[in-house]
Amino acid sequence: MKKSFVFMSTIYLALLGTAVVYYPQHVETAVIEDRAQLLPTQMKRITATTETNELQDLLNEAAKEDRVITLAGTQHSQGGQTLYPGGWLIDMKEYDEILAFDPTAQTLTVQSGATWSKIQEYIQPHGLALQVTQSQSIFTVGGTMSVHAHGRDLRYNALSESIESFRLLTADGTILDVSKDQHADYFQHVLGGYGLFGIILDVTLRLTEDELYVQQTAELDYQDYPEYFKEQVLENPEAKMHLARLSTAPDTFLKDMYVTNYLVALNQELRDDYAKLSEERIIAIPKFMLGVARYSDTGKDWFWDVQQTYSERLDGDLITRNNAMRSDSTFMDYESSSRTEVLQEYFVPIEQYVSYIDALREVLERHDINLLNITVRYVERNEDTVLNYATSDMFSLVLLIHQPLDEDSLAETDAAIEEMVATTLAHDGSYYLPYYQFPTRKQFKEAYPKWQSFQQFKEQADPEGRFQNLWYKEYFE
Amino acid sequence: MTPTLRQFIQFQSVIGMASAMIFPFYILLLRNVGDSYAQFGWAYGLFALSSALAYPWIGRLSDRVGDQRLLLVYSWGMALVLLVLPFLTDVWQIYIVQIVMGLLGAIGRNSEKTVLARVTTTDKAGKTIGNYHTVTGVAAAVAIIATGYLVDFLTIGALFFLASLLFASSAVMIHRIKKPLS
Repeated sequence: MKKSFVFMSTIYLALLGTAVVYYPQHVETAVIEDRAQLLPTQMKRITATTETNELQDLLNEAAKEDRVITLAGTQHSQGGQTLYPGGWLIDMKEYDEILAFDPTAQTLTVQSGATWSKIQEYIQPHGLALQVTQSQSIFTVGGTMSVHAHGRDLRYNALSESIESFRLLTADGTILDVSKDQHADYFQHVLGGYGLFGIILDVTLRLTEDELYVQQTAELDYQDYPEYFKEQVLENPEAKMHLARLSTAPDTFLKDMYVTNYLVALNQELRDDYAKLSEERIIAIPKFMLGVARYSDTGKDWFWDVQQTYSERLDGDLITRNNAMRSDSTFMDYESSSRTEVLQEYFVPIEQYVSYIDALREVLERHDINLLNITVRYVERNEDTVLNYATSDMFSLVLLIHQPLDEDSLAETDAAIEEMVATTLAHDGSYYLPYYQFPTRKQFKEAYPKWQSFQQFKEQADPEGRFQNLWYKEYFE
Repeated sequence: MTPTLRQFIQFQSVIGMASAMIFPFYILLLRNVGDSYAQFGWAYGLFALSSALAYPWIGRLSDRVGDQRLLLVYSWGMALVLLVLPFLTDVWQIYIVQIVMGLLGAIGRNSEKTVLARVTTTDKAGKTIGNYHTVTGVAAAVAIIATGYLVDFLTIGALFFLASLLFASSAVMIHRIKKPLS
């Protein structure tokens, strides 16, 4: 017994020591994925600190070791914008302090890892709201800037217009104060720059009054939509936000629409009664319905009917600006490692909408892809960024596609998306870059004719290529 | 040789603590490694099946070589498996580990019952076994609650290694049993 005790204990302690020594290495090179899981990548993950000087040290260290850096917020980009093999991923989510707030001037300075939700919680008690965010508030400020996202607001429109200035830690370690007037070239490239030009440190945002809106809903045919939108929404100064849905149910495929407008409510004194920020409601029901829609056509018809009924019920309901900017999203979270949900977003000029939808329907009917949802929003022409998608006043269509991860299904989706992008480009449209690398390099260059100047500035601002990502590699190298 | 009831309760409490500690995190690990619920089902099915097939053989072995040896195989075996677990990345590795754990689990559970059968007198069996479950159950509960707090400070790897150390120390307890009182 004693011999076996000594023997086993020795072997055990040796193995324990080995495991403890090797485990950290095993973890450091863990495989990292973004939300769509299409590009699993071996990287070292670094959780960012709350300290700016530690970010500088990290940059120096990466330069010394000749490592590539990628930057990550909540990683909802699906095209490899936060990933690079063997690179260091700096997770910015903890770099999220609110640094300054001036309720009179309606400005706020915040570190770039803060989520929009956190900012809303901070400014709501002062009766203030954001000018521009995405439709959900779960993303980080730095992430939204890097994809130059838009939301459902009709009047402030582009995010660039609500950013007064920001500080940028550039590849050579200097910190620049960037605005439309100062280092304007950085302003044009960092917004919609996918983290390739430096680390956004803190950002000064312009805010606006929190307002009470009354929701107005309507059902219509896609052919009537452009005219309806122009006359009833865009030209109505009381309309502040707008969102529409296009049916993906087989019975009404790409024909039926319903819209939600947010009009300034007559009785603003009621605002305080509605001002409390909404929390995510019970998600079991929408989650179940979306689940049913995923699996069958009947499910899709049913889901569309339920959505319409729900939308009708919302007509006349009151909601504050802050709450309209933080819609639910957890019910859409889809967890599986063999299937995922991918997004596509296409922009098309308002005049082209009807012929575009007809062409898109024709493409979709030829392909076997599981399309779950299409939302339609408005984007005003904006030339503030180099890689700009809103080259005229456009409708944006976001498509949610259920996607098995096997090769055949991916190839099918690839073919369908290439055709959809071609159709979009043929209608003077463009597509949004944060999603998976389905569009070809040729399509990218056609949609973004200023790609060369983007690349030139990248080479000038970061000659060593310190900031890198898979998306840049795919389309520029 | 068979341990005394008191020694055995101490031993099983340590085992219970170690198992309770890792259980929720082991499920998470399986989920991350596996691709689908079908694989999840297979992982557990293999565990149950390898246990089931091993029982007749283990039962006979237990009468031949004695409880102490089998408990040692169980404790050392689990201590070693837990060192490997945090390194697994593929589902086939999980399957192999599940089969090994199924065998070890069968040894552990069979021995638990044979020891209890050997140390209890028939007229007090109910009270003894009730008492035994209370003590080991409380130990497991304390361990799992404490782990909920610990996990904020430890990596998943460290947690598995800690549980492995507990199994190793349970083995040491068995090694130290020399003259059981019955």
